[in-house]
Amino acid sequence: MMKKNEQNEPLLSVRDLTIHYITDDGVVRAVNGISFDLNHGETMGLVGETGAGKTTAALGLMQLVPDPPGKIVSGSVKFAGKELIGLGKLRMRLFRGKEMSMIFQDPMTALNPVITVGEQVAEVIRIHNKVSVKEAVKQAAEMLETVGISSERMGDYPHQFSGGMKQRVVIAIALACNPHLIIADEPTTALDVTIQAQVLELMNRLQEKYNTAMLLITHDLGVVAEICDKVAIMYAGQIVESGSLEDIYEDTRHPYTKGLFGSLPRLSSKLHRLSPIYGLMPDPTDLPKGCSFAPRCPNRCKACEERMPENHEVSPGHFVRCVLYDADRQ
Amino acid sequence: MEKLIEVRDLKKYFKTPHGMLHAVDGVSFSIEKGHTLGVVGESGCGKSTLGRLIIRLLDATDGTILFNGEDITRIKQVKKLRRQMQIIFQDPYASLNPRMSVRETIAEPLTIHGVCRSHKEVEDRVAQLMETVGLAERFADSYPHELDGGRRQRIGIARALALEPEFIVCDEPVSALDVSIQAQILNLMQDLQEQKGYTYMFITHDLSVVKHISNDIMVMYLGMVVEKSETDELFENTLHPYTKALLAAIPEPEIRRDRKRTLLTGEITSPVDPAPGCRFAARCPYAKEQCWKETPALEEMLPKHFVACHFAREINGIMKETENEEKPAI
Repeated sequence: MMKKNEQNEPLLSVRDLTIHYITDDGVVRAVNGISFDLNHGETMGLVGETGAGKTTAALGLMQLVPDPPGKIVSGSVKFAGKELIGLGKLRMRLFRGKEMSMIFQDPMTALNPVITVGEQVAEVIRIHNKVSVKEAVKQAAEMLETVGISSERMGDYPHQFSGGMKQRVVIAIALACNPHLIIADEPTTALDVTIQAQVLELMNRLQEKYNTAMLLITHDLGVVAEICDKVAIMYAGQIVESGSLEDIYEDTRHPYTKGLFGSLPRLSSKLHRLSPIYGLMPDPTDLPKGCSFAPRCPNRCKACEERMPENHEVSPGHFVRCVLYDADRQ
Repeated sequence: MEKLIEVRDLKKYFKTPHGMLHAVDGVSFSIEKGHTLGVVGESGCGKSTLGRLIIRLLDATDGTILFNGEDITRIKQVKKLRRQMQIIFQDPYASLNPRMSVRETIAEPLTIHGVCRSHKEVEDRVAQLMETVGLAERFADSYPHELDGGRRQRIGIARALALEPEFIVCDEPVSALDVSIQAQILNLMQDLQEQKGYTYMFITHDLSVVKHISNDIMVMYLGMVVEKSETDELFENTLHPYTKALLAAIPEPEIRRDRKRTLLTGEITSPVDPAPGCRFAARCPYAKEQCWKETPALEEMLPKHFVACHFAREINGIMKETENEEKPAI
């Protein structure tokens, strides 16, 4: 499906994506105009707290936003130059699993409990690669071996596996058709740290092997530092800061990002007290008129409450959405 | 310093259809007044069971628990004990009664124990507790479902503090919360300890959180203590191979140029009828024959630093220093 001349343009290009949930209690503005590019083989971390809109954004990319109540209000999602928004359900189905696939947060609920894991992996291969059942099973066995599960266990059911092993099965399903893009929604949050380290290492290795691009959705800045090339920080449905790993970790600009780093207890520091961000995330049905972070921001000024801050490129590729970087203030 | 809690060789076995589950297997430790003991381990290591044993929510199979020098392992008047020891539960979504308002939840322990003489006094005390934990008065008549995780956890804390206990078991109190809220709660707990001199047993899977809040740390693996020492000592001189692996597995929010690290292979084994020998042997990179045969005892290898490992001295090169005093130590 890839054309040769498309190698230079980004694999995934998202522009101004806006997703709202229309409920009885009002319009939940979950995602408010996010834009980013992801190149072949690149890993981008999409970081934010509960309710920042990370998962909704991911569902938007996959055209899986439950409608109703969810609605993609505007924006464009281009995958290898092809617009996905408005694509019919059937055509989208050919995309999912083959060109882009998703790893869900909770491996306990992502698998079908009454089908063997071998069959679950083979199913994707059979549907997308149009091979015989026998061939699909053979490929599924290979895929399971790749993620570190003995093919002897193909006939086992999900409940016979531990959490870490189940997540490996989910990864095998996601990678089975060798997709160009993987969207991983908190893939290791439900796992213990030593198992998390194993799974992250596996994802890293497979990604290099297949040159797959990955969008990693997480709240854990530690995991991002471990495997991502680029980072986008989300707050109240917007990307407030984005750039390379170095930009975000070593040249932090946005007050919210700074707050996130200040909140983290670290092994390497001897700080006695953490410096939390005061207050709470705003209600997405009633977002502030100006900058959504303004009510919690230590640097807020009058301008923050009046208008939405613009996106500033503070250094090449490093964007910050904050009035602190307005030209007239510098 | 005075010891508030002293636990000797505590055991808790659960009968299961597959055999005896050794949840806590011979744990000994003490906590000084006004100090915090951090208990760290992965899912299934017995840390929550240990917390519940100590405040007598579960009855021990064997062993002794001393509270203020009094043996409470088998006493019947548990209700009296509850005034002195309380627990903050992990999940602020499941540990609050959904049909009780904030005011009712916090007032319940006060009325049950009859500590207030009039209705007015209860009201005043609730208002005071809400202020202590940073809950605005307007939430007094709210129900848990109307509040977010951070506020719910504050209710859980206020409820635990209501009877002014001496000792509080905190069972993963911040694991379900976002980092910015997690930092707020950790700071609150530290402030309360400084003001009122509470003694905490802080149970968590996150070494970076306990590092921040504890005086001493105890690392558990499959029901047993593998390493125990003062916090700074533990991080500076990590001796047990499991603690080392646990530390190495934590993704730090910093850019590491080389992303290589040693990973543990395998997963936690079953605590049902465990075989003799070191329980960590199956995953330990240093395991030798002896590890499979003899259970290592918890020995003082450096001053006030206890380790349960046959080869910890060898691995860490501390043979010479301790050889002379090895025998009289234990």
